[in-house]
Amino acid sequence: MSVTVAKRTGTDPGRTSQHRVWGRLVDMLGSRGWILLVLFLVLLVAASIVPDVFATHDHDAQNLRARLLGPGESSSEGLHLLGTDSLGRDLFSRMVVGTRLTLFIAVMGTLIGAGVGVLFGLLGGYFGGRTDRLLMRLGEAQTAMPMFLVAILLLSLLGPSVGILLVVLPCLVWPIFARVVRAEALRLREETFIEASIATGCSTTTILGRHLLPNVAPRILVLCVVEIGHVMLSEAGLSFLGVGVQPPDTTWGLLISEGRPLLAVAWWLTILPGVLLGISVLVLNLLGRYWEARSGAAG
Amino acid sequence: MGMQETTATTAPSPQSRRGRLLRRLRDRLAAEGSLGGLLLRRLRDGVIVLLLVVTVIFFLAHVVGNPALVFAPVDATDEHIAKIHRQFGLDRPVTERYWEYLVDLSRLDFGESTWQQRPAIDAVVEALPSTVYLTVVGLAAAAVLGVVPGIVAGARARKPFDKASNLLSVTALSVPNFWLGLLLILLLGVQLGWLPTSGRFETASIVMPALTLGIVHGGRIYQLVRSATFEEMSKPYVTVARSKGLTEWNILRRHVVRNTGVTTATIVGWEYVRMWGGAVFAIEYVFAWPGVGLLTIDAAHRQDFFVLQAAVIIAGAFVIFSNLLIDMGYQFIDRRITAT
Repeated sequence: MSVTVAKRTGTDPGRTSQHRVWGRLVDMLGSRGWILLVLFLVLLVAASIVPDVFATHDHDAQNLRARLLGPGESSSEGLHLLGTDSLGRDLFSRMVVGTRLTLFIAVMGTLIGAGVGVLFGLLGGYFGGRTDRLLMRLGEAQTAMPMFLVAILLLSLLGPSVGILLVVLPCLVWPIFARVVRAEALRLREETFIEASIATGCSTTTILGRHLLPNVAPRILVLCVVEIGHVMLSEAGLSFLGVGVQPPDTTWGLLISEGRPLLAVAWWLTILPGVLLGISVLVLNLLGRYWEARSGAAG
Repeated sequence: MGMQETTATTAPSPQSRRGRLLRRLRDRLAAEGSLGGLLLRRLRDGVIVLLLVVTVIFFLAHVVGNPALVFAPVDATDEHIAKIHRQFGLDRPVTERYWEYLVDLSRLDFGESTWQQRPAIDAVVEALPSTVYLTVVGLAAAAVLGVVPGIVAGARARKPFDKASNLLSVTALSVPNFWLGLLLILLLGVQLGWLPTSGRFETASIVMPALTLGIVHGGRIYQLVRSATFEEMSKPYVTVARSKGLTEWNILRRHVVRNTGVTTATIVGWEYVRMWGGAVFAIEYVFAWPGVGLLTIDAAHRQDFFVLQAAVIIAGAFVIFSNLLIDMGYQFIDRRITAT
């Protein structure tokens, strides 16, 4: 049986939400605002599971008579809600289909990074000493490296693919998880329930996995939600630069990249996928901070 | 380590010069809070990280991948590849090659660019000033866009300006930075035709990439400066100042801004290091700005391993070095800041 924390020593959520920008916005959302945010995410997840329900056209069907139609224009295939690209493919349907890979990479990348970060954070925070110094210095120093260039190097060395992206992206986020979890573990290891579990002869694995982990879990979850948005942005950046996801696979970042040469003639191809990406990241950010403020897990 | 401090001062005089220097270096490293110690430790950490990155690169290139394939044509036979192997000494033990690799790097020999037919380091050194120029102008833009609204919003919290700028900053941080650049190109370049959209051919070329950087990083600076100002404004001395009849403007100008000054400088300094973490390189690509980012991406598209490697290592060394300079700057601004 896991032990729950008796008291929360984090900052008072009320005060935090007043002086932090995100907190102010979360306050503006009101007490029911999160329903809208969750609804948006549910739509995204639904679109990635059953894209055919949402897509108005076959995302890969070319129609050279209907090239570069603006948003709202119609062709023989019917209404193109967000216009068409240089091969006459429907942009809305392509965005719907791209949702799956975009979400998959962002969620998986974050989860892997969180796994590594949580493990390192727990080990460092609980054991302290040399392990701690080594792990923390690694994370700290890594944040001072131009990691984006390192990512480009790794991807071009190993060949860009979704698999390699899921190795590179976690490298960018693990230090954040490690830092947060370490701080919590440092605090918790002084609590009496840890002392009690040591006294009753629990193994280290049990203490870390069954007593420390459940207590940091809420914070990890909140952080995951926010970081999914950041990983989404990183993936979009790498795909935009041509070292991430490769066609014929599609993500929103890749769509922006494909639209770029046509910016002057067909702005919608570049701008609209970016709007969707921006809104998704914003929603994830708001939702994460909303939970943070409400659960009192702010810090 | 603490022992060393006492031994250094009471050490007997017959001692080699070198031993004394080493001892002093060790003391410096051990002395918590001293400026020299902080810088030395930072430098040591930086070198360790660079070494780590270099090792990972070597491991991936030589152990996971096959470096001969970089030079081999696409239709090369096995014999052909084996010949290249012998030619470049790739049939020798890995440890030997690793040592040689480190020695080469320490001599600043990063190999020959396969794409530009010249030493890879030349290409990077040529591109570096452009990136530095862009980051510095971009940081100035970010500071202007972030600090001034941040102070105003923090001082007049919950007013319409605060709400509007909060929303703007959050949006700036949520949209992809390269997309923001493209949006600016569309609005200011294509639609209005005010500014050049790519390259570095005239003075005005810097405006759009720097503005993009400024908006993205200004968003974060804004949030932090706003928080700092808001907190400062709720301190008791502000109430005292109000009760003795100072105007809000005078409170802000004479007390609050001066007290948050060091915090603001710290925030801006951190943001400079952050800039090198990502945004600037994608933005260089969008605006075809001839810096390290554009070079790296071009090199990635051309599979030019040596330029990529040189760019990562030199940019990394540069960031570590500017980190040191920023730390040193804080020590001069505020002597209370000690090593962490």
